[in-house]
Amino acid sequence: MGRFRKLGVAVVLAAIAGTTLAACGGDGGGGSEGSDAKVLKLWHYESDNSAMGIAWDKAIEIFKTEHPGVEVQFERKAFEQIQQNAGMILNSTEGPDIMEYNKGNATAGLLSSQGLLTDLTAETEKRGWDKKLSPSLQTTARYSDKGVMGDGNWYGIPNYGEYVMVYYNKDLFDKNGVAVPTTYDEFTKAMDTFVAKGITPLAEAGAEYPAGQLFYQLALAKADRSFVDNYQLYKNPVDFKADPLKAGAQAFADYVAKGYVAKDSASLKAEDMGTAFISGKVPMIVSGSWWYGRFKDEMKANWDSFLFPGNKLNAGSSGNLWVVPTSSKAKSLAYDFIDITMRPEIQALIGNNGGVPVAADASQITDPKNKKLIENFNTVSQQDGLAFYPDWPVPGYYDVLVSGFQSLINGSKTPDQVLDAIAKPYSDGVKEITGK
Amino acid sequence: MALTEIEPAKPRRKRRGGGAGYWLYLLPGAVLFILVIGAPLAGTLYLSLTKWSGVGDPTFIGFDNYTRLFQDEVFWTSFKNTLAMIVAMVVVPTLLGLLLAAVLFDVIARRFKPRTAAALRAAFYLPQVLPVVVAGIVWGWILRPDGAFNSLLDSIGLGALRHDWLGDPHTALPSVMAVMIWVQIGYPIVVFMAALQRVDPELYEAAEVDGANWWHRFRSITLAQIRPETFVVALTCTIAALKVFGPVFALTRGGPENATNVPSYFAYFTFFKKLQVGYGSAISTVLTLIIVVVAAVFIWLQYRSERQDREV
Amino acid sequence: MATTLAPAPAPAPAPASTRRRKTRDRHHRGMSRWLVLTLITLAALVMLVPFVFMLLNAFKSPADYSNGGPLSWPSEFYTKGLSTYWTTVNFPLKFWNSFLIAGSVAVLGVAVSVLNAYALGIGRVRGRLWIVGLFLLANMLPQEALIYPLYYISKQIGLYNTQLSVIIIFTVIQSAFGTYLLSSVLGTFPRSVLEAAALDGAGKWTVLRRVVFPNLRPTLIVLLIFFFIWTWNEFLIPLVMLIDNSTQTIPVALASLQGDRLMDAPTTNAGALISLVPAILFFIIFQRTFSRGITAGAEK
Repeated sequence: MGRFRKLGVAVVLAAIAGTTLAACGGDGGGGSEGSDAKVLKLWHYESDNSAMGIAWDKAIEIFKTEHPGVEVQFERKAFEQIQQNAGMILNSTEGPDIMEYNKGNATAGLLSSQGLLTDLTAETEKRGWDKKLSPSLQTTARYSDKGVMGDGNWYGIPNYGEYVMVYYNKDLFDKNGVAVPTTYDEFTKAMDTFVAKGITPLAEAGAEYPAGQLFYQLALAKADRSFVDNYQLYKNPVDFKADPLKAGAQAFADYVAKGYVAKDSASLKAEDMGTAFISGKVPMIVSGSWWYGRFKDEMKANWDSFLFPGNKLNAGSSGNLWVVPTSSKAKSLAYDFIDITMRPEIQALIGNNGGVPVAADASQITDPKNKKLIENFNTVSQQDGLAFYPDWPVPGYYDVLVSGFQSLINGSKTPDQVLDAIAKPYSDGVKEITGK
Repeated sequence: MALTEIEPAKPRRKRRGGGAGYWLYLLPGAVLFILVIGAPLAGTLYLSLTKWSGVGDPTFIGFDNYTRLFQDEVFWTSFKNTLAMIVAMVVVPTLLGLLLAAVLFDVIARRFKPRTAAALRAAFYLPQVLPVVVAGIVWGWILRPDGAFNSLLDSIGLGALRHDWLGDPHTALPSVMAVMIWVQIGYPIVVFMAALQRVDPELYEAAEVDGANWWHRFRSITLAQIRPETFVVALTCTIAALKVFGPVFALTRGGPENATNVPSYFAYFTFFKKLQVGYGSAISTVLTLIIVVVAAVFIWLQYRSERQDREV
Repeated sequence: MATTLAPAPAPAPAPASTRRRKTRDRHHRGMSRWLVLTLITLAALVMLVPFVFMLLNAFKSPADYSNGGPLSWPSEFYTKGLSTYWTTVNFPLKFWNSFLIAGSVAVLGVAVSVLNAYALGIGRVRGRLWIVGLFLLANMLPQEALIYPLYYISKQIGLYNTQLSVIIIFTVIQSAFGTYLLSSVLGTFPRSVLEAAALDGAGKWTVLRRVVFPNLRPTLIVLLIFFFIWTWNEFLIPLVMLIDNSTQTIPVALASLQGDRLMDAPTTNAGALISLVPAILFFIIFQRTFSRGITAGAEK
C-alpha cells in the first residue's frame, strides 16, 4: 500500500519534471532569413524505403556536408497528423523550418491564403527552380491570394511527380492469350476476354480513392483542358449532367454491369486492391505511380504498366510540396535544402528507386521498367495531360466521391442519381472558396 | 450508485450547510474542470456561431450553422444510426453482460475453479484493450468479401449467404453493430462481476435450500442486488454510444452512403476534412445537448427507482 | 443501496454435506454445468478470433501478406516487421511516453476523483447532485468539440506540445467518471464510523486518509486500471497536442505506419501486438486484485 502510493507520487513527479523540461526546450529565434541558424528542423511523411524517403535521406546527408555546424533535426511524421493539424502546428512556435505538405487548394492553398506559408517566388526565380518544372507541375506550386492553385505566387516546390496508369500482370495476359492493348477498344476487348474466362479484369476499391480515380479517368477520355480548368480551377461552372462527367459515370456503371469491376468491391480499401493485384488474383488495376515501388518489391509474377489507352488527359500531378512555414527560423537553410533536392543526383535517386523525378537526366536511370515509368510520365506532362485528382476541388470531396461510387458499385443508385449526389457538394464547396 | 444518498430524501435540519469545510476539497477538481471543460465548452459555443476554417480569424454569422444543421439530411441520418449504436453498445452488452457475469460468477467460479472464470473474463475483456484502429483493420479482414467470415460460411455449406458485409448499405450497419457488441461486452462483465462479490453468498445458499432453480435465483437475487451497477453501466455505455467515433472511423468511415454515419464522425469530418470548424462546433453542441438530456433522464429514472425501492 | 465494487469476502461454496439435494438433481446439475462451461468457452473463443488473425499477420513478411492475403499461413516466421517498427518509431521512448501519460493520468485522476467524492459523498456539500452532473459533463463532451479551444488555451499558457497538457486534459475527463462512481459509493458510507472518528478528534484530512481511503482502496485500484487503459488507447487528443516525435504516444506512432495512399498491414499488426502487451499486463494485475476478494475494513 505504501509502496503503491510512493510509486504514484514518483510517476507524477517524473511526469511533471519531464514535461516542464520539454516546455523549456524552445530556442531563441534566428535572424530574418535565418542564414546563421544552427538548426534545421525538417519534417516529411514518406516511408524510409520509398523512393522519396531514400532520396531525401541522401539530400539531408549532402546538406550536412555543405553546412558543417548545422544540426538537422529530421522527424518522420504520421501523414494523418500533418493532414489534420498542419494549420494548428504552423500557427504555433512548435512547427518545423521546412516540411513536406500536400498539394491542392484545401491544403497548401488554404495555409498560403492564411499567411502561414512563406512566399517562395523570389527564391524560385533566383535559383531557377521554375525552369525545371513543366507548366502542369507548376500549377500545384502556385496559389492565388484566395488559395486557388494555378497561378499567383509560389508557395511550395514539388520535386517528384505522380500519375494514374494501368498496371498489368504479364503472366496472366500470356496465360489467357491477351495482348497489351494500345487503344481503348482493345482495352475493353481484353477485359471482355477475361470476363468470359471467369476472371474479374480490374481490382477496385470502393471504400477509398481508387473508384473515384477510375471514374475520373473514364470522364477524362471525353474531356479537354478547358474542362479541367473549369473543374479544378473554377474558371467556369461545371455541368455534372453533361459530358465528360456524365460519360464517366455511365462508363463506370457499365464497367460494373459488364463485370469488369466486381460488384462486391464497395467495401474494399486500396490496400485490398493492391494485394489482389500482387497476389495475381486480377490481371489489371487502374491506379497511381505510388504503387510502383511496392509492386517491384513484392510481386512474384511479371508485370508492367501502360498509359490508360486513348486518354490525352490523365489523373496525376506534381507530388507533394516542400513548403517553408512563415514561422521558420532557418529560411535560407530551408531554401538550400530544397535546392539540393532538385539536383540531378537526388533526382536520379528518386528515378532509380521507382519514383517519378521532375528534373532527372534520363541517361542516369538504369532499370528499363523505371525508365518506362518516367517516360510515360514525361509524355503526359509534356502534352499538358496532368488533370489532377477528382477529389481536389473542394475540401471533404474525397468522402463524397467515395460514397457516390460505392452506390454505383452496389447498384443502389443510377449514374444520374450519383451525379446529382456529387454535384451539390461540389457547387457548395466552390461557392465557399470563390464566393461565387 | 445510490444517488439518493447524494440527494437527501427529505430536508434535514441537522448539519445544513455542514459541508462548508469540504469545499476546499473540490478546489483542484473545479479549477481543472474550468480549464479543460468549462472554457473549451464556451469556446465551442462561440465557434458554433461563426464561420471558420481552422486558421485565421472566425467570422461571426449568428445562428446560420444551426439553421443549416436542421436541414442537413446527413445529420438526421447520423442520429438515426445512433439508435442502432445504442442497441449494440447499451442494450445488448448490458443484458448479455448480466447473464454472462452471473454465469461466470455463480456457475463457473463456484462449480469449477475461480481461475477458470477469471480466464474467461479476461477473454471477454480483451477487446476493450485493443486500439480501435487496429480492431478496424482486423475486422476488415474478417468481413470483407473474400474475408474469413465468408470463407467460414462457404465451409459450412452456407455459401449462399456470402455477402459484402461492410459494402452493402443494408448490412453495413448490422455488421458495425456486431463489432460494437464485441468491443463493448467486456466492460459490463467486469463491472458486474465486481459487483457480485458484494452479494451475500448466504442469500444464494438459502434460495438453493428452498429449491429455487438457477434462473429463479438469477432473477430474484442477482438482478435485484446489482441494480445500481446496472444503471451505471447503462448510463456510461449510453454516453459512449452517443459519442462513438473510433470504430466507425476505422471500419467504414461512415459509409456506404452514410449508412453507418454517426454524429461524432460527422462532426470530425466537418472539422478536419471539410475544414468547417464553425459548422462542426454546431454539430458538437447539439450532440452535447442531447447527451446531457439523455443522461439527465437516466439519472432521474435511477433516482426514482431507488426511491420506490425505499418506499416498498 | 449497497456500494459499487465494494469489497466483500469471496463466496465460499458451502460444503456439500449441508445441502439436501436429490441425487437425480445433482446428476442433472453435473451435466448442465458442463454444458454451460462448453457454451461460454466457445463464446470466449469467438471473442478471441480477431486476435488470432492479428497474431497470424504480425509475423508475416509484407510480400507474404500481399501474395497470400491476411488469412493465409505465413511461409516464414518473419520478425523483421517487429524489429523495424521497434527501431523506426523508437518504441522504448514511445512506450515510456505512453506509460508516463497513462500512469500520471491514472494516479492524478484517482486523486482528483477521491477529493471530489469526499466533498460530495461524505461532506454532502450543497447542490451536490448538480455538481456531480456538471463533472460528468467532462465525460459527455465529444472530444472533437474540445480540440480547437483546447489547442488555443494550451498555446496561450505555453503547454502546447507538452505531455503535461495531455495529462491535465485526461485527468479531468477520467476523473469525471471517478467522481460519479465514488460519490455514490461514499454516499452510503456508514455515518457511525465517521462520527466515531470525529469524536476521537480527527480532522477532515485525517478522516480521509485514515478512514475513507483504506475503505475505498479496492475500488480505487479498479479505477486506476480503467483510467490507465482508457488513456493508453487515446488517439485524437494526443495526435493534436503532441507534435514532436519525442513526446508522442504509441497509438500516434502506430498511425505513422499508415501513409497517404499506402499502408503497412503486417507491421501495423506487429506494432499493435507489442503495444497491447503493457495494457494486458495491467489487466492481469487487476484480475488478481479482483480474484483475491480483498477484505479491507475501515480502520477503527
